[in-house]
Amino acid sequence: MSYQITSATLGLCLATIILWLIRRDHLHSRHGFWWLLVALGVMLLGIFPTIIDKLAIFFGVSYPPTLLFILGMGMILIKVINIDLHQSDLERKIRSLAQRMAILEGEKQDKIL
Amino acid sequence: MESSCESVVILIPAKNEVQTVGKVIDEIKSKLSATIVVIDDASTDDTIKTARRAGAIVLSLPFSLGAWGAIQTGLRYAAKHNFKIAITMDADGQHEADSIPILLNAIHKCDVVIGAYPQRGSLSRQIAWQLFRKLSGINLEDLTSGLRAYNSKAIELLASKAATLLDYQDMGVLILLHSAGLQIVEVPTLMYPRSNGHSRIFNSWWAVGKYMLCTGILCLAHGKYGKKCRTK
Repeated sequence: MSYQITSATLGLCLATIILWLIRRDHLHSRHGFWWLLVALGVMLLGIFPTIIDKLAIFFGVSYPPTLLFILGMGMILIKVINIDLHQSDLERKIRSLAQRMAILEGEKQDKIL
Repeated sequence: MESSCESVVILIPAKNEVQTVGKVIDEIKSKLSATIVVIDDASTDDTIKTARRAGAIVLSLPFSLGAWGAIQTGLRYAAKHNFKIAITMDADGQHEADSIPILLNAIHKCDVVIGAYPQRGSLSRQIAWQLFRKLSGINLEDLTSGLRAYNSKAIELLASKAATLLDYQDMGVLILLHSAGLQIVEVPTLMYPRSNGHSRIFNSWWAVGKYMLCTGILCLAHGKYGKKCRTK
């Protein structure tokens, strides 16, 4: 079996899972866009693994797999930072919500007494 | 010494302080007539009931937000109800109600008054504070005192979104106030040793490490290294 079939199968499987998750509404549309791009990427790279070799030559990288790893890790890093930013935003909102709720409840109680 | 303070609110964050919170409220009430608000940081004991029975307004958080989260709840309450001055106090009986008039006297000339008692604190704490002073450029004696008075300008700033993600009342808050150009003044006050419980920051090595890291990063991110704070 040629390595191209293996990589194409892996790429297509991954893309199918992602697309299925988006269609099933398991992913918020904002994340959906990112994952759609990822699905497209793994599909292309899976079917045409030589893309990475050509890119490596273009960027002057002598060992093409390193380029793949660096790009992949870079994307993961961006995504993780994005998650933390989002998480901080949610934390801020949740705290404000808890505070507002406590204030409203306190005011209500104050009126009863 | 009875004084009427209609636009003053006393904020007391409390977490499982059932033994002291009632006494603290009673003492304030005997000294001056001001609105007393206890912010319950998801206590599991009878803190809410005790505080309410003692005549305080109780704001009860649905889950624990930490010391600063509780204080900010109070400051947001103060902003919403147009209080001109907010005083924060610990619920563990560390602060004397007698200090309140001292703070009120000083707040007319500046934006924030800190009731300072720098003599407290072990050597390691002093070293930590010295480090934070250097990093942030804020030259105050007592960085962690929970006994403070804020005027409406400070209340408005601290009730804003910018202060929501802070975790402790000390450096982050001071840096925020400092960089907004508000004037911070310290007045010496007396403090009792904690009559129950322990510091919420300095209670375990893990907590200390977390606190040092968080505060160190805050100082580095926002502090003005080398610049001295204007304090009168």
